[in-house]
Amino acid sequence: MELKKMIIDEREVFFEEGKTVLQVARENDIYIPSLCYHRKTGPAGRCRVCLVEVEGMRGLQTSCSLPAKEDMEVKTHTEEIIEAQKLFINLLLADGHHNCLSCEANGECELQQACYHLGIEVPAFQVDSLKEDYDDSGEMIRRDPNKCIHCGRCIDACNSVVVNEVLDFGYRGRDVKVICDNDLPMGDSQCVQCGECSQLCPVGAIIDKKSIGKGRTWELEKINTTCPYCGVGCQLTAYVDKKKNHIVKITGREVPPNDGMLCVKGRYGYEFVSHPDRLKYPMIKKDGKHVRVSWDEAIDYTAERIKTIIKRDGPDVFSAFGSGRITNESNYAIMKFTRAVIKTNNVDHCART
Amino acid sequence: MQNHIKDKIEAISARYPDKKSAIIPALDILQREKNNNLSSEDIREVAHYLGTTESRAYGVATYYTMFNVKPVGKYHLQVDTNIPGFLTGADEILKHLEKKLGIKSGQTTADELFTLTEVQDLGSCGTCPVIQVNDIYYENMTLEKTDMLIDSLRKGIMPEPDKTSYYSTECNILLKNRGKENSRSIKTYKSNGGYKTLEKALSMKPSDIIAAVKEAMLRGRGGAGFPAGLKWGFLPKNDDRPVYLICNADEGEPGTFKDRQIMEYDPHLLIEGIAISAYAIGAKKAFIYIRGEFRWIAEILEKAVKEAEDEGHLKYTDIVVHKGAGSYVCGDETALLESLEGKRGYPREKPPFPANKGLYNCPTIINNVETLATVPFIIEHGVEEFRKIGTTGNFGPKLYGVSGHVNRPGMYEFPLGTPLEKILDAAGGVKGKLKAVIVGGLSVPILRADEIKGLKMDYDSCLKAGTMLGSGGIMVINDTVSIPELTLRTIGFYAHESCGQCVPCRKGSHTIKELLKKILHKNGTEEDIELVLKLCRNIKGRTICPTGDAFSIPVEAMILKFRDEFDALVSN
Repeated sequence: MELKKMIIDEREVFFEEGKTVLQVARENDIYIPSLCYHRKTGPAGRCRVCLVEVEGMRGLQTSCSLPAKEDMEVKTHTEEIIEAQKLFINLLLADGHHNCLSCEANGECELQQACYHLGIEVPAFQVDSLKEDYDDSGEMIRRDPNKCIHCGRCIDACNSVVVNEVLDFGYRGRDVKVICDNDLPMGDSQCVQCGECSQLCPVGAIIDKKSIGKGRTWELEKINTTCPYCGVGCQLTAYVDKKKNHIVKITGREVPPNDGMLCVKGRYGYEFVSHPDRLKYPMIKKDGKHVRVSWDEAIDYTAERIKTIIKRDGPDVFSAFGSGRITNESNYAIMKFTRAVIKTNNVDHCART
Repeated sequence: MQNHIKDKIEAISARYPDKKSAIIPALDILQREKNNNLSSEDIREVAHYLGTTESRAYGVATYYTMFNVKPVGKYHLQVDTNIPGFLTGADEILKHLEKKLGIKSGQTTADELFTLTEVQDLGSCGTCPVIQVNDIYYENMTLEKTDMLIDSLRKGIMPEPDKTSYYSTECNILLKNRGKENSRSIKTYKSNGGYKTLEKALSMKPSDIIAAVKEAMLRGRGGAGFPAGLKWGFLPKNDDRPVYLICNADEGEPGTFKDRQIMEYDPHLLIEGIAISAYAIGAKKAFIYIRGEFRWIAEILEKAVKEAEDEGHLKYTDIVVHKGAGSYVCGDETALLESLEGKRGYPREKPPFPANKGLYNCPTIINNVETLATVPFIIEHGVEEFRKIGTTGNFGPKLYGVSGHVNRPGMYEFPLGTPLEKILDAAGGVKGKLKAVIVGGLSVPILRADEIKGLKMDYDSCLKAGTMLGSGGIMVINDTVSIPELTLRTIGFYAHESCGQCVPCRKGSHTIKELLKKILHKNGTEEDIELVLKLCRNIKGRTICPTGDAFSIPVEAMILKFRDEFDALVSN
């Protein structure tokens, strides 16, 4: 596609038709503070922080919803922009309970990043606001309404990305809050705990319960890998505490095939990796006790037993179960082996049981 | 859900292209069947029945003020303490009721007979104070009448409301049938040529009607003053999607009570206007989105639509009367669209504009009641006659609602450009010594008494005078009123009505309210006043919809023009 040219902060940048000014800025490493935009949920226009000044346009514009145009001249940090950005962020800080000290989002929080960029240390003003209890009813997810900035990313993700249709906005004005079903505690709602909301939350309002207190993001090694649960092959990042050799948290990578999405097992079912009972090598029961053996010995022993039993009782005493945790190719091999080698049709799959 | 309720919901949902649009009417039906209360289970059933999510239905039920997700008593007393009420003694009535019933606003009596709620703007500005009891408006209230009302309700009798209101017309166009007997019947309407103009219009080419409205420079009467013909011209050409016409009857700007005059007393004028306009723009379906509190007016409209249908006047266009459920923001075009689609009244980002992507993503035109009711005159008498009324660029008749400190608050029809002083005279003159006037509904900058001399009430003159004509809702304020108190009342309304979607409006309105409270309680400082001004300056023009402007502009003007009153509160 032919690239077009525009100017951001006196710098020439090139872009593909159809991008917004915020997208073009990000692609060119120009930081514009923004809280509600996410590529997956699209422009929302709710935070009004991503303001820019455009030559020839009256007033400031929200860059998340502004289409980039050929020869557009954009400024991202005039005095007027900074005053408004500071004020809007201070409004959020003044009427909420945003405390970075032990927040799980510390280091990854987009509100914190915007404050840092704008040099906001403490709220410039304060209004009375009640502290609400957090919702700890979800098996895997904690929701802290005091930190919620009502950007709506979780809601859009729940309804339009993973289409679980559990979250929405409830109530009005300052009382607006994110609700599950009929404003039920998350644990009592139809939520399946996929955690897409947690991954897309820009602040610490929706967090993974199992990770709480287990390590700050910068202390953890991030390892990209493939989810072992099923054949889809979702791409994920494991946050690993190297000293303990434990996974602390998992997030989905925004690449094919899953574009960041994970299921409850892929995102939260990771303890087996370092569980003491995990089966790590073949074993054969000898004299009533499981004994570690070599792969060759294990395979020879199994083949021998299958042959003996089939010879004695016929092939139909044999049945094989494929698994969702292995690839299609491996499942095909199981089927072929069962029908062509053993000569029985007794083959099935765990996903059908 | 019981079958008879299902049948009612089924019948209503059949009137919409998408049955999810019926969520507000469905919740309303259920609430009425369940003693004026909605349980979580009821809301869940509506969600399942209309094929939407439980959270969306619950989000809708908790967004609109008319849905009672918390139980209310047999009689729900709602006292409007917004500006016109505040100026005419609504606070005293509320206090009196609190004492008399032994409950605070928001509470229900132990015998579950009464629930008392302080509400914001019921659209009764010219007949304040008003108490809404369930569906009925009791207007022109006094302490004595309040006592009589409560005594009657205790006996189980809803008394007849006092319908007195003042009006006069110089133009004889929008209020021409106002004083006639049975003014709302089709017979009366037709007795002096009603629906003849529609016949004439149907024999014209739609493009000629659009051209006439354009040439007449009919400016939108909802508040913005945008030329209606120009708006119609934005519809895409050669597009195969259906076109919708929506009549905005959500009249909610404090100080405004004009559209109800047309709908209540001359509904056929509006229906004829809608039918002509719908034909002009090619809309086979039109909606009248009326605020839910005007229930009796919605019934008048429904009856009138039926009459017009029965007499064969609505062959081209089907008109559906849709009731809102309590939300100021739904008066904004795009919030109205969302609401009509069965969602929370969250305004959309523009562009795209409704003419291209409106209701159900189809081309849509939204016009105010008064605008549409003016269309028949233009078609009947021609552009030239129309342009004889008013001033250059501001042609036609206008309804001016006068409320607050005047002797005869009410509705006055004059040509655009009539001097404010003349309108105030028609309203019986100012009660006491004039201090200030808000000329176009609460969202416009206030004018000091010395600024109104010679002010012509049209769009351009008001703009030149540093304010806006808006909806033409004139609120008159005498020198007994404290402007800081008025300012707090102003921001209180918008903070209550903010939809909560974007940060500057949601948090800004609340923060300004808290700061003004602090100042009024004499705990404030000079810095607090400056902070309010800074907030106003920064919120203006930066919210999704015009609500941010609607509070930052008047609050800023009140402080700047009456700064000494604010300074006096922080001087110690």
